[in-house]
Amino acid sequence: MSVKFLILEIRRVLRSPRFLIFTVAFPVLLFLLYVGIFANGQRSAVAPLMVSMTSFGAMASALFVGTRVAVERKAGWQRQLRLTPLSGAGYLTAKAATGLTLALAPVVLVPLVGALAEGVSLGAGGWLRVTLGVWLAAIPFALIGLLIGQIGTADSVQPMTQLVMLPMALLGGIFIPIDAMPHWLLRVSHVLPSYWMSQIGRGAVTTDLSTSLGQDVLWVAVWTVAVGFAVVRRYRKDSARV
Amino acid sequence: MTQAAVRLTGLRKHYGDVRAVDGVDLTIAPGEVVALLGPNGAGKSTTVDMMLGLTRPDSGEVAIFGAAPAEAVSRGAIGAMLQGGALLDDATVGEMVGMIASLHRKPMPVTEALRRAGIEDLANRRGTKLSGGQKQRVRFAVALVSDPDLLVLDEPTAAMDVSSRREFWRSMHAYTNTGRTVLFATHYLEEAEEFADRVVLMRAGRIVADGSVAEVRALASGRTLRAEVPGVTAAAVAELPAVTEYDVRGDRIAVSSRDSDATLRALLSRFPDAHDIEITAIGLEGAFLTLTADEENDR
Repeated sequence: MSVKFLILEIRRVLRSPRFLIFTVAFPVLLFLLYVGIFANGQRSAVAPLMVSMTSFGAMASALFVGTRVAVERKAGWQRQLRLTPLSGAGYLTAKAATGLTLALAPVVLVPLVGALAEGVSLGAGGWLRVTLGVWLAAIPFALIGLLIGQIGTADSVQPMTQLVMLPMALLGGIFIPIDAMPHWLLRVSHVLPSYWMSQIGRGAVTTDLSTSLGQDVLWVAVWTVAVGFAVVRRYRKDSARV
Repeated sequence: MTQAAVRLTGLRKHYGDVRAVDGVDLTIAPGEVVALLGPNGAGKSTTVDMMLGLTRPDSGEVAIFGAAPAEAVSRGAIGAMLQGGALLDDATVGEMVGMIASLHRKPMPVTEALRRAGIEDLANRRGTKLSGGQKQRVRFAVALVSDPDLLVLDEPTAAMDVSSRREFWRSMHAYTNTGRTVLFATHYLEEAEEFADRVVLMRAGRIVADGSVAEVRALASGRTLRAEVPGVTAAAVAELPAVTEYDVRGDRIAVSSRDSDATLRALLSRFPDAHDIEITAIGLEGAFLTLTADEENDR
């Protein structure tokens, strides 16, 4: 793998209007919309919404790129890549790295809008958690995307991605703020990596319904290892089939 | 002894009950240009895939310049033009070739690969906006860019019109003149006849003929006799001496013969009215048909 390869991969994704709308424009617009609807002029409500939309953008970017593996398999591009020194693991790593690099856009943009337009102010440590912290928590989503891309076909990855992303966003406390959730739903949300992802940021902006950073990191790590294991297993099975 | 560019030993691969490749032995010396011919399902693509390390053989060995395919690939010693696909919709030609180049250790400059494939002017064109022939040339550039010693082309001129096919082979000639080894699968016999030093004919997973174009043609030695024969019957044609195959349509007959002189004499003595007689030597196409037609007889 080389830097040039990664740059070209990133450039390709940036050409996709769907990607730009879904993962860059959408989180920013939703953030502004949510503030208008839910914050009611309350300063304290703005920052958690900012964290939610940052998480959403990072999650969507990371997922989206991984699923393109299925499209490239169908196009025969993967076969062509197998005739280069790039290993299968290198290919998957490149895809995950591309997804995470692109996730930087919402991770920077949404907090930037929060700080400049909505007057969110945090300490350096707090900003680091809502940006870098949330960004790193997108790793399991990049892996979930790869798994979908490995299992799905070019036609089925789209609905499969939606099927994963919607519950993650709805039940994980991103589209429905966790303070608005009934108790039972909050319990359900604890299972999802999207919940722990947004918790990493939430802990920096409010103490209300937030969990400890150590617990958040632990759960994100558990998800990373579990999905990572599944991706590697699937990859081994795939390459044994040839 | 110099090391073989390709050495396949006892190669076998089956899919379920189908023996796609059934004991292939093949050695290609460096610098040879070899055409791999055969009808659909003869095992050409499976053989090519095993050579490239894309498919693992059930048994047998593949050595590319003395190394396993994976090693040869990682050294950049093999360039391949695969059948169909293999292009991206959201990247330009220059980017695709550039991506492949960026993965190799010693690639040639992207512009050089594009120039050799004759597509410098398409560098900024997206994959979706290419004609069938242009796509093939992009695949060719992708295969070339690692500057490989062995070039493997699976049906390289499929979807090309006559002029771009000629153009394609011209750029290939320039490449092989530098002493590279080329193996190409094709079903255009004239391409094999014109371009290859050596022809390998496959059917039902096996190599049935292997040699220079002239040698393979001689394997199915014989001539084709065509004539207008009033009142002819299929049974009468079958009884003619030295006939290997025949086709009767009304009064018109086409006969493959091992000894066209004997066939013609017998024909004229039985049917003195026969006219418009034409005798032609079997070309590679005839040899191809004869050798692969055996397949039907075997079954």
